Amino acid sequence: MASFLPQFQSIKSSFDHVVLSVEDVSDLWPTVKKGFEERVPFKKAFLNNKTRNPVLVDELPAEFILTTDARLRSRFPQEQSLFWFREPYATIVLVTCEDLDEFKNILKPRLKLIVQNDEREWFIVFISKAPAHNDQATKMAKKVYAKLEVDFSSKKRERCCKLDMYGPDANFWEDLEAKIMECIRNTLDRRVQFYEEEIRKLSEQRFMPVWNFCNFFILKESLAFMFEIAHLHEDALREYDELELCYLETVNMAGKQRDFGGVEKGDDQATLLDPGKKALAQIVHDDSFREFEFRQYLFACQAKLLFKLNRPFEVASRGYSFIISFSGALALHQSMLPFCMREVWVITACLALIDATASHYEEGLAAPDVEKEFYRVQGELYTLCRTKFMRLGYLVGYGSDIERSPVNSASLSMLPWPKPAVWPSLPSNASSEVLAKEKMILQESPRLKHFGIQRKPLPLEPSVLLREANRRRASLSAGTMSELLDARPNYGDGSGHSSAVPKVNNVSMSRTFSSPGNFDGSIDRPMRLAEIFVAAEHALRDTISDAVLWRCLSSVEEFEQKYLDLSKGAANNYHRSWWKRHGVVLDGEIAAVYHKHENYDFAANLYEKVCALYAGEGWENLLAEVLPNLAECQKILNDQAGYLSSCVRLLSLDKGLFLPKERQAFQSEVVRLAHSEMEHPVPLDVSSLITFSSNQGPPLELCDGDPGTLTVALWSGFPEDITLESLSVMLTATNSTDEGAKAIKTSEAIVLRPGRNNITVSLPPQKPGSYVLGVLTGQIGQLRFRSHSFSKGGPADTDDFMSFEKPTRPILKVAMPRSLVDLAAAVSSALLMNEPQWVGIIVKPIKYSLKGAVLHIDTGPGLRIEERHEIEIEKHELRENNKDDLDNPPDNLSAVSAEVKQLTLEDGKIKLPDWTSNITSVLWIPLKAISHGLAKGTPAGTVPQRQSVVDGLRTIALRLDFGVSHNQTFEKTVAVHFTDPFHVSIHVADKCSDGTLLLQVILQSQVKASLAISDAWLDLQDGFAHTGKGDGRPVSRFFPLIVSSKSRAGILFSICAVDTPAKDEAKELDPVSILNIRYTVSGDRNVGAHSPVTEELTGPDNDKTELLTFKSALVLQRPVLDPCFAVGFLPLPSSGLRVGQLVTMNWRVERLKDLDENVAPDDIDEVLYEVNANSENWMVAGRKRGYASLSTKQGSRIVISILCLPLVAGYVRPPQLGLPNVDKANISCNPPGPHLVCVLPPPLSSSYCVPAA
Amino acid sequence: MIVCLAVVGHQNNPLYIQSFTDADDALKLHHIVHCSLDVIDERVNNPKKSSPTINEAFLGLLYPTENYKAYGYLTNTKVKFILVTTDLDVRDADVRSFFRRFHTAYVDAVSNPFHIPGKKITSKTFAERVSTIVKSFGLSSAS
Repeated sequence: MASFLPQFQSIKSSFDHVVLSVEDVSDLWPTVKKGFEERVPFKKAFLNNKTRNPVLVDELPAEFILTTDARLRSRFPQEQSLFWFREPYATIVLVTCEDLDEFKNILKPRLKLIVQNDEREWFIVFISKAPAHNDQATKMAKKVYAKLEVDFSSKKRERCCKLDMYGPDANFWEDLEAKIMECIRNTLDRRVQFYEEEIRKLSEQRFMPVWNFCNFFILKESLAFMFEIAHLHEDALREYDELELCYLETVNMAGKQRDFGGVEKGDDQATLLDPGKKALAQIVHDDSFREFEFRQYLFACQAKLLFKLNRPFEVASRGYSFIISFSGALALHQSMLPFCMREVWVITACLALIDATASHYEEGLAAPDVEKEFYRVQGELYTLCRTKFMRLGYLVGYGSDIERSPVNSASLSMLPWPKPAVWPSLPSNASSEVLAKEKMILQESPRLKHFGIQRKPLPLEPSVLLREANRRRASLSAGTMSELLDARPNYGDGSGHSSAVPKVNNVSMSRTFSSPGNFDGSIDRPMRLAEIFVAAEHALRDTISDAVLWRCLSSVEEFEQKYLDLSKGAANNYHRSWWKRHGVVLDGEIAAVYHKHENYDFAANLYEKVCALYAGEGWENLLAEVLPNLAECQKILNDQAGYLSSCVRLLSLDKGLFLPKERQAFQSEVVRLAHSEMEHPVPLDVSSLITFSSNQGPPLELCDGDPGTLTVALWSGFPEDITLESLSVMLTATNSTDEGAKAIKTSEAIVLRPGRNNITVSLPPQKPGSYVLGVLTGQIGQLRFRSHSFSKGGPADTDDFMSFEKPTRPILKVAMPRSLVDLAAAVSSALLMNEPQWVGIIVKPIKYSLKGAVLHIDTGPGLRIEERHEIEIEKHELRENNKDDLDNPPDNLSAVSAEVKQLTLEDGKIKLPDWTSNITSVLWIPLKAISHGLAKGTPAGTVPQRQSVVDGLRTIALRLDFGVSHNQTFEKTVAVHFTDPFHVSIHVADKCSDGTLLLQVILQSQVKASLAISDAWLDLQDGFAHTGKGDGRPVSRFFPLIVSSKSRAGILFSICAVDTPAKDEAKELDPVSILNIRYTVSGDRNVGAHSPVTEELTGPDNDKTELLTFKSALVLQRPVLDPCFAVGFLPLPSSGLRVGQLVTMNWRVERLKDLDENVAPDDIDEVLYEVNANSENWMVAGRKRGYASLSTKQGSRIVISILCLPLVAGYVRPPQLGLPNVDKANISCNPPGPHLVCVLPPPLSSSYCVPAA
Repeated sequence: MIVCLAVVGHQNNPLYIQSFTDADDALKLHHIVHCSLDVIDERVNNPKKSSPTINEAFLGLLYPTENYKAYGYLTNTKVKFILVTTDLDVRDADVRSFFRRFHTAYVDAVSNPFHIPGKKITSKTFAERVSTIVKSFGLSSAS
């Protein structure tokens, strides 16, 4: 059957549609041909696929062929069954008849004859030639047609249709198409069934010796082809897939030595998209086909169908895996194939596939994910092609032009060298080329990397080429020659073609055999690299038949151009796919080429993309490979900002990635640029290089308004010291967002050492709140750098590329305004008036240092600083048992005085000593309160007047300037109470009958100190005299009289009233008596009154403390000795007084004596009275003042009644009746002194009370 | 032979990368591992394709090139393990069990209280353990 292959091939190439045969019985075809042929290709045809499911075919081309045509007549029966697909799919019988008899007698038998062959699908088209206006003819035609239908149509199937040539043909064409389709469908079904049956039969014999793949192939492909012409491409594709599977199964069957193929001229060019490239008959091998060609053929057929199905993406993805698997097959056979056949084939296959699929593919043809996948495969194809191309380039000596990048190294260094049976050897006439290559190799100088970076280049070769090539040759000389010689005939036997022997081998063989004299010499001496290159070049020239591809390898420039194109193609396609990283990495390769060719602009752009990719995900090792290149481009392009940032990034990479020397080079570049003449200051982010943190420990705490010193730890990633012209630390308040960060600047330049540096920054007063470190900014030369990177107390962590953590721990806390110090008076009780006294001021720092504080003291009126004395300061100690110690204060004083320090007042200011800065201290200021009035004694029993307390109050205005820079001020006015030592009250204790009065003087101590009275005497006013002969002093043995705090003492004086000197002398004599008391005071100045400040000079000599003198004025009233009137307050009603109730006050006035003669006669029988009442307590109804008649006789009496209304409840003084015209000395009152009455509150109102039930 | 083994963090940052070749060519392996992240990304972002295996950590073969193979493994915390081998004839089951053992070693390493999650793994013990696993893989696949 294999002999039919050429015929099959030619049929396939010339035949591509369905054939419909036309049996023209009545010579009608020429008339209807046009109409019929207009109908093809058929639209929207429904056909059944292999699984008998209807499939809509959009367009079905067909051809009408007359049965008389030579094409149909001259066929052998065997051919017919084999190539059944080209037989007509329907037979259309064209008839016409106008006469029933004619039909019956002639036409009908003839038609029966035609349609009796059951194999064929047929139907009859009756053509009526009857003109439309000729009813007779029309009728006849109808009759004949009816007869025809009766005879040929059956119930199952309508086989007739009628075409009116001159009449309306409304439904005819549709009818015709339907009938044709029905026929095609049926025929197709039947033929598919037939083929399937045949194929099944053959398949069953697959493992039998008679099995012949060619037969199977012809049947299978016929079926596929039939599907293809029926436009059932899916089915056709499936057949090819099955065919491929079956083929691979047979080809991989062990034991059969088969010819692989691929050694013919031009085989290096892949034919995986061109099924007709090589005739199948040429590749028949025994009962099968040569693998090399046939697999490509099968793929080409599949690709063709896929393109027809508009699925170029599938072509691409199937193609890629086909290339990979086919490349593997080539590798298996490479010892028989020409040198580098595999590589060349892959290159051409990839390029062909890329071109074909790209040209068939339109944007948006497929779903987005399919599209992405398509571009990925395109990228993969480009990459594969690129890899193989680089390999070829390396072999011919362009290795030095291939960038030794990770991507190239990854793809080349793991790709084994080609393994030809024998490595190509040097042609005899190539010495000049070898010289040229030698020169090229010598001229090659490894391109120096910027910054003097030295790296071991990555390998591009799986092993050293020199060794590999020589080893392959050496194996030849080492005695394995026979193996090769043995192997050689095998190829020849296998194929029977002399061309099956690889040409490369031919070359080497012919040389070795033709010049046996040279044999040892050329083999023994290892080839030099240049020789290997030249030999490979020659061998490749033999392998590569494609002139275009060869040109790409012919010179370095062409090679680089192609390399660039392939890289670009791969990168562009990867960019459109999911595989962005692949794309960007290849961009880096493109950049390297641009870089080499000094196209720095493009190179920099691409390098930046690559760097961004690596940096973004933290692949520092890879980044370290590319970044120096970017930096170099930027430097050449004079992109200072970019260059600087690249240098900084280089510095911030892991230290292990560069040598210290290289890192120093980076830094010196930064410094050089920073101090060069840049037009504008360049901002630079050094977050990765300089990081900062607050020092360990609690944050700096400042009080409001205080400046401070902030310590910040800086970590420098620079390899050497670097000078910062300025440095600012940004402080950000954590509590308020509205307030911008404040920059705190250092004053002088800072030299940063590598590693940790502690920087102190002086801090102006800040607002209250807590602050964290924000941004660090500063300047290196013209560079304005900033760092956002907050390190957690370690050097910049290079892994932290994603998270610049915000510092959360505050570095500074400025407290809300609070009192930092308190000033208070140290004494709680009164001090002695008119005596120099120590006034203690407690200076109490509240968690704040008072270092260098200055106290301003300003005394108020009535107070004077005793400047003769030094001011004392001592530590303040709270004494728990203050009161208990009162009795022995000297001990206490001495205990404390050990720490007392003397201070001098200057201009009302005192500088506090440093030792007091953190402790509470007491400042003792000698002060004297001055009061000019004399203390007044009061009669006993009266309430002491409060006024005196206010009199004794003095104020001291204090101002304390303190703080770190005297920025804090505290002002306070302290009140100090001064008082007399005693309150004096007097009381006539007894009135003796002889006129002697016993005057009791009661001394109430007013100070919290014990007073020792050593002497007391009374200077009496006029009208009084001491009784006895003494000067009125008490007996001296009573003294000293100790009056302790808050206690009372009494002294009795015996006095008598004496006649006043004559009034006419009218000399103003002392109206008051003076009580003189000499006393000493012993008290604690911490508590209150104490002995006055004495001058130090007099202190030591007088062991006895100086006596103080206290004077108090007393007013003594002479007793009523000569009463003329008696005024008696009559008792009040027993019901008592109530607020709001009127009460009548009654006074009885009685004349005790006859009136003197010298009184004016007008008012002798009248007396002037006046009622004095406190208007707040009483409402007086009636006349307050008036005359009441009273006879001049002794014993005459009247009662004066006044209606009063008490206003206030309580004990109040009742109104008093006075007689203004009468001297007080002549009025005897009862009761004699002031008295009180009780006023009850108003009665409760009962009107709202509810009686109890 | 396993030539490279890498742990890549969930932000695609390298956490541990160890090559097992004699030559000084670790960088190309870095490249291979880095680029194979493309494949992992694709698989993870397009679960449609790999729907049957989405619940499995083992991602299978990532890189079917002619010369080496890259296998992937994705943990629940989106940490990727990538294995590059020049063995072209490796059984999936072997790789799968290899990854399981490696995963255990990794979990032990990151459970170290002194390890900072998301940072490079510097533990020597881990490295030793990994090299043991790698060696044993070579043996099991060879046998």
